[in-house]
Amino acid sequence: MAEFFATQWPLMGIAASAGIILLAQQWRSTLIGLLLNYVFVAAFLAQQQFITPDVSVFGYMVSTTVLVKIIAGLSAVLILGVTALTFSREEGTEELDEFSLAELRRAARRAQRQKIIAPLRFTDFVVPLWALILAAIASFILPRLYPIGSESVDFAWYWLTLTGIFTIVTANDVLKLGLGLLLCVSSIDLLYTAIASTIQVFPLAMLGLTTIVLSLSVSYLSALMYGRLKTLELNELYKR
Amino acid sequence: MLYLLIIFFPFAVAAGMFLLRSQPGPSITGAIICVLTEAILVLQLPVDAPVRLLGLTLTIDPLGQLVLLTILGIALFAYTVTFFITHGEHFIPVSLLLLGFTGTTVLLLQEPFVAALLMVSSGLVAILAIVDLPIGSTVLVERSPLITALHYLVLVLLSGFAMYMAFVLLTIYWPTETNGQASPSHLIIALLIVGFGMRFAIFPFHSWLIEVAEFSAPMVTVFIITALNSTGLLFLISTFQFFPIIVTENERGMHVLMALGGVTMIVSALFGLATPHLRRTPTYLIVGNSGFMLVGVASASSSGLAGSILELFNHMIAVMVIYVSIALLERPDGRPVVTIRRDLLWRWPLAGSGFIGGCLLLLGAPPFSSFTSKVLVYDAAAHTGAGYVVLLGIGTLLMLAAIARLLYERLLGAAEELPTEEMPILMATSEISTSDRRQLLEPVGLTIVMFVLLGISAVVGIYPQLLLTTIESVIRGLTFVHVAS
Repeated sequence: MAEFFATQWPLMGIAASAGIILLAQQWRSTLIGLLLNYVFVAAFLAQQQFITPDVSVFGYMVSTTVLVKIIAGLSAVLILGVTALTFSREEGTEELDEFSLAELRRAARRAQRQKIIAPLRFTDFVVPLWALILAAIASFILPRLYPIGSESVDFAWYWLTLTGIFTIVTANDVLKLGLGLLLCVSSIDLLYTAIASTIQVFPLAMLGLTTIVLSLSVSYLSALMYGRLKTLELNELYKR
Repeated sequence: MLYLLIIFFPFAVAAGMFLLRSQPGPSITGAIICVLTEAILVLQLPVDAPVRLLGLTLTIDPLGQLVLLTILGIALFAYTVTFFITHGEHFIPVSLLLLGFTGTTVLLLQEPFVAALLMVSSGLVAILAIVDLPIGSTVLVERSPLITALHYLVLVLLSGFAMYMAFVLLTIYWPTETNGQASPSHLIIALLIVGFGMRFAIFPFHSWLIEVAEFSAPMVTVFIITALNSTGLLFLISTFQFFPIIVTENERGMHVLMALGGVTMIVSALFGLATPHLRRTPTYLIVGNSGFMLVGVASASSSGLAGSILELFNHMIAVMVIYVSIALLERPDGRPVVTIRRDLLWRWPLAGSGFIGGCLLLLGAPPFSSFTSKVLVYDAAAHTGAGYVVLLGIGTLLMLAAIARLLYERLLGAAEELPTEEMPILMATSEISTSDRRQLLEPVGLTIVMFVLLGISAVVGIYPQLLLTTIESVIRGLTFVHVAS
């Protein structure tokens, strides 16, 4: 058992961090989950030695590609984190007319009321929990039915894809929906690195760019939505 | 060097235009100069002369060059339109980024994985244009554009994911006979159908395009349909070209794809017929036309391919003409905002005529070039099976009915001169139109260019060999067409 933990800790880290993203409701927890996920994916790639290590970091030999992946991931987390931290700041309201300002005040009151009426409940976790269990079962079965890489690689990318899709399906706010999409991109990244016969610079750069552009788009939409509705809740967006 | 310039020049200009975004005149002029320069660069590119860069193969064939030049021509016209019609603050930089991504995708079509990622990135950038507000806007962004952008975000990414998975399976593809395992070719084509269907707005993945057309600025819709969706069709053709095994091992899958195209045509025409709306109905017809093109490509025959590719050019011109007309028809005409306008042709004769011309071009009415392309696709369908001809025929008739109803309900009705009771201004209503109640004049220069576009289509319709010669020479080099036949 100890040997299993010693060798499979990056895989367990990937499973746990993606699980946090699917289960957690607060943006602080989900962003920490995303950060950990990028770190564990990088650790997994470094451990499996898909790419020859060429740089020494704190005495450990790692590949430059793995470092680039960590940097792209950190950038995505930073973009989302900075956006989330600056939500409360009122910007550009001086250009709005009186009707728009009234609409904003009304939205702020509604969001405030919503927070008081609907505190965090256990029932909010039921659907994500079942989704997580379903993802776990599927991630163990699918690699046996449709193997693509090694067993651990297959588990990792199936798990990331499934938790990503379930996060999108069960998301109740824009930020979490974006995190689900980022998990899907992360699974593509992992699979490409693991199965490509020769790792090329440009596709890896494109994957990094996609991660960053996606986090920018999610941040922009989240900021716009918060600026309009004073909440990120999707059900508020769909209210007529 | 030329390749690098084509890839990076629009990105560099986009960064410059972002700084100038609050000054419409200089930013539009800058964008027009950029597009012209880009067109000159594309013309200078040696055709079918691959170059290796960072381990990738960059190349352009005559078809790619023609598509790229058409997209640049459409962009040039779109920027001219923005001189006359209000556009979003970030429209110019975002559209230049889209052009940059489109150019790069066309040059990198031999690298399907990279091309799929580029298409995802371009889709993500387009989101910024969907939720864009005009310069100095005093209102908040509405819920509908936000919802549209969110739907588009998720669909773009899932489409990229499906395409990527298809390429992963293709990379590790093993022939059925060698090891006795089940062939993944059905799964590959299923993933491609889903990925491409989301991208190209094929039924049942078409709803995002209707939302985009309804809630974003007309020129944004034009860019998304012409630059992004058209590249998608080119991408599908090149995927079949590089992996002909998808076509050869999937006879049934290709039939499903053809049937899906026909069903898309019928369903979207029915939706268009049911809702005579100035924006929604033409967009449903555009979705239907995408289905028509899909039928031609999936037939994997020379006539079907030629028809679809020729239709792609007509499609781009029709989309441009229709959405410019819509933008002109939606301008203030002296009546209250709440009035339902039924006499748009009499109010705006030039824009109304352009709109009718665009719809007829989309339908394939002679003498427009779309007539030739439609005949070619019908020919391909007839060779594949009579059922497909019936599907296409029903689809075309329903599209005609939808256009007729729209014209009757919105353009050719009696003038509403009766005084209409105005809606009271309500508190917290943010869409109050403060526009001038006088009827504006039609921008004659713009409508002339619109009719020039229709004229080009008519000339190509009368002399189809102008384009067909190039298209047929490209098709002769497509291996999957020979393999299938």
